[in-house]
Amino acid sequence: MLAPSHPLQLALGLIVWSVWFVALYGGLSIGCALAPPDADLGARTWLNGLLAALTAMTAAWLVWQLRRCWRAARSRTDDAPNRRFITILSAGIYAVAAVSTLVIGIPVLGLPPCP
Amino acid sequence: MNEPASPGRDRLDAELERIWGNPRGWRALSVVNHSVLGLRFMGTALVFFLIGGILAMLMRTQLAMPDQRLLDAEFYNQAFTMHGTVMMFLFAVPMLEGLAVYLIPKMIGARDLVFPRLSAFGYWCYLFGGLILISSLFLGLAPNTGWFMYTPLSSTVHTPGSNSDFWLLGVTFIEISAVSTAIELVVSILRSRTAGMSLDRMPLFAWYILGMSLMIVAGFPPLILGSILLELERAAGLPFFDVARGGDPVLWQHLFWLFGHPEVYIIFLPAAGIVSTLIPVFAQRPIVGYRWVVLSIITTGFLSFSLWVHHMFTIGIPHLAQAFFSAASMLVAIPTAIQVFAWLATLWTGKPVLRLPMLWLIGFLVVFVAGGLTGVMLALVPFNWQVHDTHFVVAHMHYVLVGGMFFPLVAGLYYWLPHVSGRMPSEQLGRWGFWLTFIGFNLTFLIMHWTGLLGMPRRVYTYEAGLGWDLPNLVSSIGGFVMAIGIATVLLDIALHFRFGRVALRNPWHADSLEWATGTPPRAYNFASQPDCTTRHPLWEHPDLPDGIAEGKHWLANAGHGRRETLGTDPVSGSVREIMRLPGNSWLPLVIALGLAVMFIALLARSYPIAALAALASVALMLRWSWVNGLHPALYDESGAFPAGALPLHPHTFDGPGLWGMGVTLLANASLFLSLLFGWFYLWTVAPLWQAPATSPLPATTLLIAALPLTAATLWIRRIVTRLRNGTAAHLQVQLWGIAVLGVAYIAVLVQVLIAAPLSPTRTAHDAVIAVFLGYLLLHAALACVLAALQALRVRRGYVGHHAPYETVIVEKWWSYTLLTFWLTYGCVVLFPAGWGGS
Amino acid sequence: MFIVAALVLLAVVGLWVRALYRPPPDHDETTQRRIGRRWIIGGGIIVPGISIVILLAFGIPLGHRMLPLPVPGEAPLKIEVTALQWRWDIRYPDHGIVSTNRLVIPAGRTIDFHVGSADVIHSFWIPRLGGKIDAIPGRINVLRLRADQPGQYRGQCAEFCGAGHAHMVLAVEALDAAAFDTWVEKQTP
Repeated sequence: MLAPSHPLQLALGLIVWSVWFVALYGGLSIGCALAPPDADLGARTWLNGLLAALTAMTAAWLVWQLRRCWRAARSRTDDAPNRRFITILSAGIYAVAAVSTLVIGIPVLGLPPCP
Repeated sequence: MNEPASPGRDRLDAELERIWGNPRGWRALSVVNHSVLGLRFMGTALVFFLIGGILAMLMRTQLAMPDQRLLDAEFYNQAFTMHGTVMMFLFAVPMLEGLAVYLIPKMIGARDLVFPRLSAFGYWCYLFGGLILISSLFLGLAPNTGWFMYTPLSSTVHTPGSNSDFWLLGVTFIEISAVSTAIELVVSILRSRTAGMSLDRMPLFAWYILGMSLMIVAGFPPLILGSILLELERAAGLPFFDVARGGDPVLWQHLFWLFGHPEVYIIFLPAAGIVSTLIPVFAQRPIVGYRWVVLSIITTGFLSFSLWVHHMFTIGIPHLAQAFFSAASMLVAIPTAIQVFAWLATLWTGKPVLRLPMLWLIGFLVVFVAGGLTGVMLALVPFNWQVHDTHFVVAHMHYVLVGGMFFPLVAGLYYWLPHVSGRMPSEQLGRWGFWLTFIGFNLTFLIMHWTGLLGMPRRVYTYEAGLGWDLPNLVSSIGGFVMAIGIATVLLDIALHFRFGRVALRNPWHADSLEWATGTPPRAYNFASQPDCTTRHPLWEHPDLPDGIAEGKHWLANAGHGRRETLGTDPVSGSVREIMRLPGNSWLPLVIALGLAVMFIALLARSYPIAALAALASVALMLRWSWVNGLHPALYDESGAFPAGALPLHPHTFDGPGLWGMGVTLLANASLFLSLLFGWFYLWTVAPLWQAPATSPLPATTLLIAALPLTAATLWIRRIVTRLRNGTAAHLQVQLWGIAVLGVAYIAVLVQVLIAAPLSPTRTAHDAVIAVFLGYLLLHAALACVLAALQALRVRRGYVGHHAPYETVIVEKWWSYTLLTFWLTYGCVVLFPAGWGGS
Repeated sequence: MFIVAALVLLAVVGLWVRALYRPPPDHDETTQRRIGRRWIIGGGIIVPGISIVILLAFGIPLGHRMLPLPVPGEAPLKIEVTALQWRWDIRYPDHGIVSTNRLVIPAGRTIDFHVGSADVIHSFWIPRLGGKIDAIPGRINVLRLRADQPGQYRGQCAEFCGAGHAHMVLAVEALDAAAFDTWVEKQTP
């Protein structure tokens, strides 16, 4: 696993978020193209359930990474300043990614998928 | 300018000047120096800006009154298409890249960008591409289908002339320039910062440019792909966007806006970088929330790629998907808000002085925040359905782009003028220019929101009287002319200052960053010795640093070897790793760009043999370019090899700038490939009349046979690299020849597949996309073979070997990428349809 | 919405101008840091965050109600619109009526427009009745509209579609229910 002060951490949170976003939009489009759920069901369809589960899992992973970076930044105050800078910033990136995932994912709970 | 002279210092300056100095006269065309090229970029962009501005004035004159007949529909359509295209592709991006090319090395304490010939190449591509595009206006053949070129309006049936071709080819030419400059900026920022400039000490402007450049690297390729596909459709009849043959015009919209929305932030980020640089200087304190600002830059860079569909809310996509993009569009406002408040907090806790650049920053704030607010409104789906494609949107985007780019740009120009000219701008005339521009702008575009709400669609060349649109249009037109007078005043002020400006003191604004540690105007090599950076604000904490630099008290003060050198440092900590030897002036960038210009013009004229010849000649010259690298005598002398205890030269390392350049190039390449995959899957699921045969037309087994030599060759070159790392390079030349031969075998099988497969690329979009995939694989394989063969030749010359492994590592990456794209293509084009079961 | 936006703009600009002109403060390092953090978190995150949540909570359901979903009661009137360079072809499938560049609709009744294109992309838009929808070759998009008052309206192509774009206008007339029925009878032979 990537160390909390690895420079790639600066992008990883949002890269995971991008992959999630592509999966969300792509999954919705493919789901609606292949097996569109009945419009009368509203938001309670298998497709919404799948997308909501995906969203929850992604957000959970991001929050876990956020916690990891945050704790590393707290505990290892003797790191070189540039390492600590990366750790703190990465925690911020994970936080942003997690919040974006949740905010963009919320409509899955309330809207029918295909119309 | 006002530096005390000393004999040692003069000798050092003379020596460096001999190595770095820019020739005059016609030889100036071979210059690769970043200061010269940055200014050329900006000067050229200014000329194109004036052309775009004149088009805008023509349109405003036409719309001033209802039922005017000053311009006919055809010319008006060309005018608005070219206005948008020129302002986006020929002004905004090159202007900001030019500013970055000029400033970045100075800000990070380097002597030049790491690929100087690439800067020159980028400039020439930009200039020639721009000229091709502009020439269409004079030929009366300018693109006339709007700057986003929606198909099928822009396709052959509805635009039979070469109007669209000018756009597709010209813009692609310019994008080569944008992407190559971006790659160079990324690598320079990451690998050539001066000693000790760790990531957390980097000037914010460099963070912004890093963000912008990576966005260009990821964001431009979708449009490059789209342009290639549309040009293939127009020139060769491959029906990617034709519904009847299984294509879909909406695919173009996706590819365009995948580029188009990030583009807005590509323009905004460097402009915000100007704001973040100027505000602390004029508030006389460090920026508040450095980390917050960096966080905002990274966040903006990613989030802005998830908004593209908000330009397409009215094409009928699921409302749930619209909700995703609507939420993402609103979220992106938050990083911007963070920056606005970081600037506010900096002013709040500082001691602001109100100089002329500050005035333009206030203008920026008012206009840009207003534009951001209407942007949030537009992200709201029901409101968007109402005002989409009306003058409301026109007003909104001018608020965002003029506010977010032009106002900070002028602030930055005034701020850095003394750096270029050594003279201070006036305060009086400049204020007139500001107020005229500001008032004129708001008069034009504030009113235009209302015109849009009254229901006036955009892009109409005229309108009937009595719809309530007469008065607001007249006001907008008057405002437009006031703004034009304002901009003319600013330009006049800048022109006059070169003659009449007060001579600037050193560091006239009392700034903190290293670009003010060079002389004003700067020498070609920027720094006689490269400084140690121990803080985020070098000139505030060490005001005497410029003297030490000029006296040669820091790094690389020895120039006896007669070669151009700059420091190579660790991307995170900034500790010194190696010395980079940079190539000197060269005619190749100009000649290759000319070759490409011939190719593009031949493509426009549909004379394909000439185009092919020009392309081959350009490629041959590029190989010549790559020959003068590493241990080539032009860069290297025997005496410089491993002096005991000193820093290695970059050809002796495994992780030189070239590897980083290849990495970033492959990132751009991967973005193009992913866009192609997206197009494939998109058409497969969405195209209304998609026609896929029951079984793939590609022979699965023959392709597996093709994979054998390719996979073997790639594993082989990877093994060579491993052995080089262990210090052995036995039979390197023979092995590289062997790899090239395996590559040729792969190409042979692939060509056989292409000939034998029952593909009819002009009949269905399905076959057309497959043909593009095969072409992509072939091009990559061909280049991989040539690179391997060239390596073998360089081993024979002694330029490459266990003492100089630098280049082989780079070639290995290209092979690995070629292999990866082969297997991805195999999975998606051969295996996926089999799993889907045809349809 | 516009009033709120104007207030936000005034507030932000006002704060900046105040920051520029107020007498320079004399805070120590910690106070400055605290002030900075308060501005960034308060102004940069909390305020816009809350606004976004409100906007989305209000906007998404509103957009949802505008969708052409099945409704209880009287079925919406179906009208087919085909856009082409540069005119509108209108068809009433239930009545077998066709017309060009002229649309007659019953006021007070929900109408589903089925919009398609015969050549390039156009956009069907009657500004005073509501939103627009693109006419894209190969697809049929549905837009639900309703004219509450009888009267004359103006429709116009909203997506640039070539030389005749500015003149691609649709005359719309909304009649009350009885008048609409009379009109339909007169049209059908």
